[in-house]
Amino acid sequence: MDKYIEMIRIRFLMMLAYRTNYYTGILIYSINIGAYYFLWNAIYGGKSEIEGLSAIQMTTYVAVAWMARAFYFNNIDREMATEIKEGKVAVELIRPYNYLGMKTMQGLGEGIFRLFFFSMPGMVIVALIFPIEFSADAATWGLFAISIVLSFLINTQLNLLTGITTFFLYNNTGLIRAKRVLIDLFSGLLLPISFFPGWAQEIMGFLPFQGISYIPSMIFTNGFTGSEAVEGLIIQAAWVLILVIPVQVLWVIAKKQLIIQGG
Amino acid sequence: MFYISMFFQYVAQYMKTRLEYRADLIVEIFSDLLFQAVNLIFILVVFDHTEFLNGWSRDEIIFIYGFFLVPYALFSSFFNIWDFNERYIVKGELDRILTRPIHSLFQIILERMELESLFGAVTGLAVMFYAGSRLGLEVSWSDPLLFVVFVLGGVLVYAGIFVMIACISFWADARTSIMPMMYNIGNYGRYPVDIYNNVIRFVLTWILPFAFVGVYPAAYFLGRDEWYGYSFLTPVIGLVFFSLSVFIWNEGVKRYRGAGN
Amino acid sequence: MNAIEVNGLRKEFKAYSSRSGLSGAFRDLFTRNYKIVPAVNDINFTVKQGEMVGYIGENGAGKSTTIKMLTGILTPTSGSVIVNGMNPHRERERFVQTIGVVFGQRSQLWWDIAVQESFRLLKKVYKVSDADYNEHMDHVIKTLDLEPLLDKPVRKLSLGQRMRCELAAALIHNPPLLFLDEPTIGLDVLVKLKIREFLKEINEKYNTTILLTTHDLTDIEALCERVVMLDEGNIIYDGALKSLKERWGEGKEISFEFLEKAELNHLETLTGDLDIKWELDERKQIFTAVTGDDEEIVSQVIARTVAAYKVRDVKINEPSTEEIIRNIYDKGMLQHG
Repeated sequence: MDKYIEMIRIRFLMMLAYRTNYYTGILIYSINIGAYYFLWNAIYGGKSEIEGLSAIQMTTYVAVAWMARAFYFNNIDREMATEIKEGKVAVELIRPYNYLGMKTMQGLGEGIFRLFFFSMPGMVIVALIFPIEFSADAATWGLFAISIVLSFLINTQLNLLTGITTFFLYNNTGLIRAKRVLIDLFSGLLLPISFFPGWAQEIMGFLPFQGISYIPSMIFTNGFTGSEAVEGLIIQAAWVLILVIPVQVLWVIAKKQLIIQGG
Repeated sequence: MFYISMFFQYVAQYMKTRLEYRADLIVEIFSDLLFQAVNLIFILVVFDHTEFLNGWSRDEIIFIYGFFLVPYALFSSFFNIWDFNERYIVKGELDRILTRPIHSLFQIILERMELESLFGAVTGLAVMFYAGSRLGLEVSWSDPLLFVVFVLGGVLVYAGIFVMIACISFWADARTSIMPMMYNIGNYGRYPVDIYNNVIRFVLTWILPFAFVGVYPAAYFLGRDEWYGYSFLTPVIGLVFFSLSVFIWNEGVKRYRGAGN
Repeated sequence: MNAIEVNGLRKEFKAYSSRSGLSGAFRDLFTRNYKIVPAVNDINFTVKQGEMVGYIGENGAGKSTTIKMLTGILTPTSGSVIVNGMNPHRERERFVQTIGVVFGQRSQLWWDIAVQESFRLLKKVYKVSDADYNEHMDHVIKTLDLEPLLDKPVRKLSLGQRMRCELAAALIHNPPLLFLDEPTIGLDVLVKLKIREFLKEINEKYNTTILLTTHDLTDIEALCERVVMLDEGNIIYDGALKSLKERWGEGKEISFEFLEKAELNHLETLTGDLDIKWELDERKQIFTAVTGDDEEIVSQVIARTVAAYKVRDVKINEPSTEEIIRNIYDKGMLQHG
């Protein structure tokens, strides 16, 4: 376990080293949220609510969705692709740890860093400028915390999946990009899922993406309360478990392929 | 003249390599299309819940988006510099560039072009014609000409901003993950800037002038005459920002520290 | 005419140091410690047209920083560089037309396209006419034996094949000055020999100036009459390779293996009047006499020893350039400058 925690710490230090990034990051995050705030205000155009969300709730939703994204988002799929292409993965495999586990921990290290040094200060600045509603209820915060951990797991598993496909495709940059675009849309980052037409909502109900952004953001904005929130967490947890299967299966096949081809 | 002939030399080479990996090419074009579709879906879903966006109709917003896609496609075909820091500074590829007798930025443009992104311009034109016909817009003789000028202006705006961001690497050891976030900000120029407050509007007009790649020039074709002044400013802003970025680039190259060490 | 003139050339880098630990890294967010380190420290030298010069030094001695300033990649902090009569950085695009550069660890060629396509593209880049190209490159391709490689993509070449192509690519515009940074790193002996021969040939044929950095001193011995030696950013030796050997080659070593049992003190008394030192490898029973360069002494030692004992084997060793240079660095060097 120690070595995984060490990996989180190292990533953390790496992120701290790039400081220009860090300052401009907060600024750009604020501009981002600001632009969305006005866009949504214009969309509401005086209406008090759309699909059960008030304009203020909507702004909060957008702010929180982007803040959560900073936590769950990582580039481990792209990193895996490079490592596999450059043949470094063979070295990783003979090291005494689980490669996928290590990648997950690197992602977590990055995520925790962005959460504390990027999302939180960014959120404070945004909250000072724009009307955002924070829940005073400790239970909401607790459920939200569990929920974003689960969304991190779902997103990371999907990244591992796309990363592993590098073993089978010569170049998967296109696939990685397509995945990212789909997640932005279907996870509810750009638009709450409740805004979509009924038939689209039904399809999305069968997909893991809603567990990445929609559920935690709805919990935070009190769009989901009580049993709805718990139900959301169960859906997320179920997806975490289900996704273990394809990840492990593909990984076993990939390792076999690696042995045959010698990297 | 030399630069034009070099450009076609590189294009020819590019075609040869790209055609070797046709599957990649198709996936890439597909993921571009997907990206454009997602943005369109966003607009469509939003207009399910509202009639007007601050007085702009659905078709007008779609038209602006279609216009935006054209300069954006040109930009992403030729200014693939989002990984400039990692590729050229950290890995030291700039050393090689600097030992050749062509302007360094131009070489990077040539090396990194991704012509398949040009398909985005086709999508953009299709979207514009669709929205334009629903709005009943007339095409006058001067429109194609102005369209070209505005598109080129927009490309230069985008290029200028991203070259300047790439230049940060000459001064600071920043990993440029500012780049992806900047792509996000670029998107806000697609919406009518009058929906934003003055600060953001100012930023999108004069600091990061993304509004000149979307709403300002498109407003001309939509006949929104209150914006005409800004529309005709598009090529000027483009030239100013791009010249500035080339100037900063040249200064930056002097400070290049080389890789390693 | 001088191909390279360097006066008081200096390059400083800011070296950042990170504080240790998490709290240290956090403090680094706001202020950072750095000190200014001169990588190249006010050096002077000139290279005449047609010379082949070896530029040597340990890692971090400032070799590649100098090369990068000479090729216009880096701007000097102070001092002046005139190469082929131009300021490399200021007139970069015109200047690089007159030089060829090979970085051993970095490819100049396009990874995905065939070698000849790369050549063709470079031909256009350097504005070489068809006539010049054919005349010159046919020869280069023949001597380096590149014909069978021309239609292969670079990524499929072996390292040795690739280096030969890199060399050819650097010569497409037949530059009067060639910079080679570790051109033989990782290559096998045959390829090395071929490359050396080729370099000698173009030097003779076109009077091409060559500046070479390498870890492999046999390259330098084979090619260069002159070496410039660098340590911590200072030139510590600049002159003929031969006189380097004469000045720093510390005599000869004569090793004896005897058929019968020998005594060290007996040998010492035998040669007591000569200025030498005996050493004994006890395990192998090899007796070594370390002498100066005086040939008279060398023959005296051999004569007396052979007269006293039956000998199985005698070897006379001169220190190699490598050992000499190692020696110089180990002893911290003479006077700087």
